[in-house]
Amino acid sequence: MRAVEPLIGIAGVVVAWEIASRVAANSTLVPPPASVWKALVAMRGSELPKDIGASLVHLLVGYTTGATAGLLLALLAGSSKWLAAVIDPFAEFLRPISPIAWIPLAILLFGVGRAVPMFLIFYAALFPIFVGTLDGIRRVDASLVNAARSLGASRRTVAMRVILPAALPSILGGARLSLGVAWMALVAGEIVGGDAGIGWRILWYQEFFQMDRVLAAILIVGALGLAADGLLRLLQRHLLRWHPATESAS
Amino acid sequence: MQEISRPVRITLPLAVAALFCIGWEAAVRLTRSHGLLPSPTGIFASGVEATSSGIIFDAMSGSLKRVILGFVIGGVLGVPLGLAIGTVPALDRALRPVLDGLRSIAPIAWIPMAILWLGVRGDAALFVVAYAAVFPFIVNAGLAASLVDRHLVAAARALGASRWMIVRAVLVPSSLPMIFTGARIALAFAWASIIAAELAIGIKIAGQGRSVAGIGQLMVETLYVKRDVDALVFYMLVIGAVSLVIDAGLRRLQRRMLPWSAR
Repeated sequence: MRAVEPLIGIAGVVVAWEIASRVAANSTLVPPPASVWKALVAMRGSELPKDIGASLVHLLVGYTTGATAGLLLALLAGSSKWLAAVIDPFAEFLRPISPIAWIPLAILLFGVGRAVPMFLIFYAALFPIFVGTLDGIRRVDASLVNAARSLGASRRTVAMRVILPAALPSILGGARLSLGVAWMALVAGEIVGGDAGIGWRILWYQEFFQMDRVLAAILIVGALGLAADGLLRLLQRHLLRWHPATESAS
Repeated sequence: MQEISRPVRITLPLAVAALFCIGWEAAVRLTRSHGLLPSPTGIFASGVEATSSGIIFDAMSGSLKRVILGFVIGGVLGVPLGLAIGTVPALDRALRPVLDGLRSIAPIAWIPMAILWLGVRGDAALFVVAYAAVFPFIVNAGLAASLVDRHLVAAARALGASRWMIVRAVLVPSSLPMIFTGARIALAFAWASIIAAELAIGIKIAGQGRSVAGIGQLMVETLYVKRDVDALVFYMLVIGAVSLVIDAGLRRLQRRMLPWSAR
């Protein structure tokens, strides 16, 4: 009975969906499950891989640059009280401004195109990683650092081999939190100011009133979001397997 | 390294910020890109204009109305559902895949369908906001309900409490702190979503001369019709300020209502 329950839930939703589409009797207003499935199959053979690829490029480029910038800034801020006193207030000032609010300015500065979603992800990744890294750095056991120093480690070695690994749980926690925001920023950026990717494609289908494709693309966005979170969780478990406090369930 | 003294801690970033603004203004003037790139004086001027004409208040109230409504809808739908899931494991198992799946869909992705179902006036944006707000409530209420102290429930039952009484006197109060945290997350999501939704609706109807319904549409108008860079940055700052105020307000409310739980 236990294994069946999740299937009951999913089946219930699909049944309700089918009923709704019959009641609406308008396949544009409420595309029935069957036509969405057909649309999915058709898309898979044509544009879908390209669109997903474009979105993934936006995500990867934006996220790696944003995360690197956040890491470096945090290392800077963590290494000197003066630098921290300068960087912290700026970070606090920019943090409440959601990445979405940057969209119009990004469009004005970069023009409609691939730079907009990439910039948004860069911004969305930077703050949580900066905060998470800084937090982790500040909590690093000083005796670990001193031990490494007394063994003759250079500043760089200390940073890379002692501080960063010790801060890793906090960094990855921040990364997982930021993924939800980053994903929303990606889709919003593509819809409003992009010219490639799955978010942009949703708008494209809507222009042509191919609502079954719209719904199929929406489901794809959900699947990608799930996959991204799952991957990050796997990464977290793998990178932190030496850590005594690694949570087994999340 | 000794601690940096308080006065320095306050003046140093201000000094750096002032230098930064001066340098920024100089760079914009020297490259003659005033009006093409944002500049501190331009932003200030736009700010003055927006407040005196009142347009920023109209737009903000439009957006805030929908944020609050969507937030309330999300809470009203999400908290009971979450509490139910947290207390009935079978329900949790049945609904978990569906909820996880729906939760992973970025709310803004629903905009085309929402526009089709609800029109461009504003309810489509409300749908997106409510969608974004409901999941943090469900997740946090569910978690809180599953963590209720069994001893408290047993004690209540031993004293003869009915099931409804247990819900009212044990389940709800002990879940409130986590639900409040969920509320803060939901509000942040709702705020981001309204802007995204209004931006998306805005570009659909840009230039049609419709009245501005919210800050997102105002930004699109400014972007495509007026091309005013400084005003855009001013609106961004306002958005940031409002989200700070909203979150601080909720945090204060939490401290007042649930003093034992606030950070």
